[in-house]
Amino acid sequence: MIRSSNFFLSVCSAILLLSSCVGKAPLYIKGKVKLTFRNMVSGSPMALNTSVYTNPFAETYTISKFKYYISNVKLGLSGVPTTATDKDGYHLVDQSLPESLSFSFEADEGSFVTLSFLIGVDSIRNVSGAQTGALDPLKDMFWTWNSGYIMAKMEGTSPQSNQAGNKIEYHIGGFSGANNALRYVSSIYPNGKTVAIRSGQTSEIILEADFNKWWQTPNDIKIKDLPVCTTPGVLAIKVADNYSDMFRIVDVVNH
Amino acid sequence: MKFKIFISLIIFLSATVFFLDSCKKGDIIKNDTGYHPVSLKFSVPAGWPQPPTDIFKSNPLTEEGFQLGRKLFYDGRLSKDGNFPCASCHQQFAAFATYDHQFSHGSDNTFGTRNAPALFNLAWMKEMHWDGGIKHIELQPLAPITNINEMAETIDNVLKKLNIDSSYKRMFKAAFGDNTITSQQMLKALAQFTGSIQSYNSKYDQVKRGKASFTVAELNGYNAFKSKCNTCHTEPLFTDNSFRNNGLTLDAFLQDKGRMGITGDRNDSLKFKVPGLRNVSLTFPYMHDGRRFSLSQVIEHYRSGIEINQPTLDPLLKNRIAITNQQKIDLIEFLNALTDQVLLQDKRFAQPF
Repeated sequence: MIRSSNFFLSVCSAILLLSSCVGKAPLYIKGKVKLTFRNMVSGSPMALNTSVYTNPFAETYTISKFKYYISNVKLGLSGVPTTATDKDGYHLVDQSLPESLSFSFEADEGSFVTLSFLIGVDSIRNVSGAQTGALDPLKDMFWTWNSGYIMAKMEGTSPQSNQAGNKIEYHIGGFSGANNALRYVSSIYPNGKTVAIRSGQTSEIILEADFNKWWQTPNDIKIKDLPVCTTPGVLAIKVADNYSDMFRIVDVVNH
Repeated sequence: MKFKIFISLIIFLSATVFFLDSCKKGDIIKNDTGYHPVSLKFSVPAGWPQPPTDIFKSNPLTEEGFQLGRKLFYDGRLSKDGNFPCASCHQQFAAFATYDHQFSHGSDNTFGTRNAPALFNLAWMKEMHWDGGIKHIELQPLAPITNINEMAETIDNVLKKLNIDSSYKRMFKAAFGDNTITSQQMLKALAQFTGSIQSYNSKYDQVKRGKASFTVAELNGYNAFKSKCNTCHTEPLFTDNSFRNNGLTLDAFLQDKGRMGITGDRNDSLKFKVPGLRNVSLTFPYMHDGRRFSLSQVIEHYRSGIEINQPTLDPLLKNRIAITNQQKIDLIEFLNALTDQVLLQDKRFAQPF
């Protein structure tokens, strides 16, 4: 008698274990998208502090810091508004931190042909109070006196700078009205490639960011005239217009 | 036997219900850690407008969060040398402004460049600072903590100091349920405290509620106020929270252009936020740089001192404001009736240790 009731209990437990987490089964089949950023200067991988670079105006400079936010990443189908979105994903790409140079997010299965993202932190997050993670003000990408995020930042030195220690600093931010330095990047994958997302697999999109784009097209930024930008405004807008063209997709790898 | 099967069935069913529930929600685990903050309610005084946004929507107001914010507000460790808590420039007896100081005194014998504003009814204020540079109450403390003329500290250092204090670790855990102290939690706790400071119990409020009556002078002052000041200093907050140029001469040393420093727009040159006038008898000196030491001087400015040739001068002030000597006296009587003793003596807002 005791045996049979034990048996009954074990059967019940087995059913219980099997059934208890049925609700967790995913509704969609998901794969992963990985974005990898390679920071470059005119065709060479960026080296902080050690390398001396030359801008289009023959001014030489070094780079000690290079950081930018990437957010609102979306993959698009050809001619269809359906997208795979990196929802609530805010990523700080920091040249000094190798682990920050790539990030992944989950996406539904499908073949995507376009990629778009925001360079910076959208205006809503700028006015939504204290944030954490990549948006923690500890990341040194936040203005405390005119509250808002620095979208992209470069610091370094140049003999052409008239500042103490030949410092150059470009902190580009501003999210509202005429001072909005947010820039959208949208592009089609090269050579007719697609990002084919398959369940349990990762598709990698490799991008290059060329810092030398910051100096020119459409706006000339000469170090001798403009060695510093640390507020939202006209100069920040000019630099943002220049760097909005710094990204190139160099490869798509469907693992 | 039947009885045992019956018992087994009961156990099985209860276990099933428990497990299904646990798959649905994750908060059973959270509850197990003893995280039970006590919710507080933020009330809008009768007859007041709703705040423009709900500052506690993504920062649920709790007793634990409020008390943590209160401790932080009064703690000198938030400053570089330990001498400058938030409360050093925001004193309860001065309605959380700085009593009698034109500029706040900061770290290393420095002066700030503006007069410290009073802190109350912040839930109605969309932008902080005289120039509106701060767009959310939670972000506000970052400015004074890191400003070299104020608390002169880094957020990183503040967190290090808090993290080695076991009482803070306990309080942060009680308020937010986590073991790690983050800048976000610190800022949210401070916002719970400062956002809770309300002022709605002045004599003016008692009169509005039919619980008291103005003296003749106060009533005359109130009537003068309604015809001459109310457009910008709108009741019941006594500010419309707009930015205006009230015709003060540019200080040659400070060169403070106000709102223009935030927007970069020349049309905003010399504009500053219209301050609320509640508790105004305690918040002297007045104006963004504290250049007027008495209400009498302030009223004198509006009737005779406005620099009327400034391009961005508020259109309402282009002819200055006609105020008789008697009205001036009555206006001051009325303004004194905006002092809120309940706020000044509320022990919930006082130093906790």
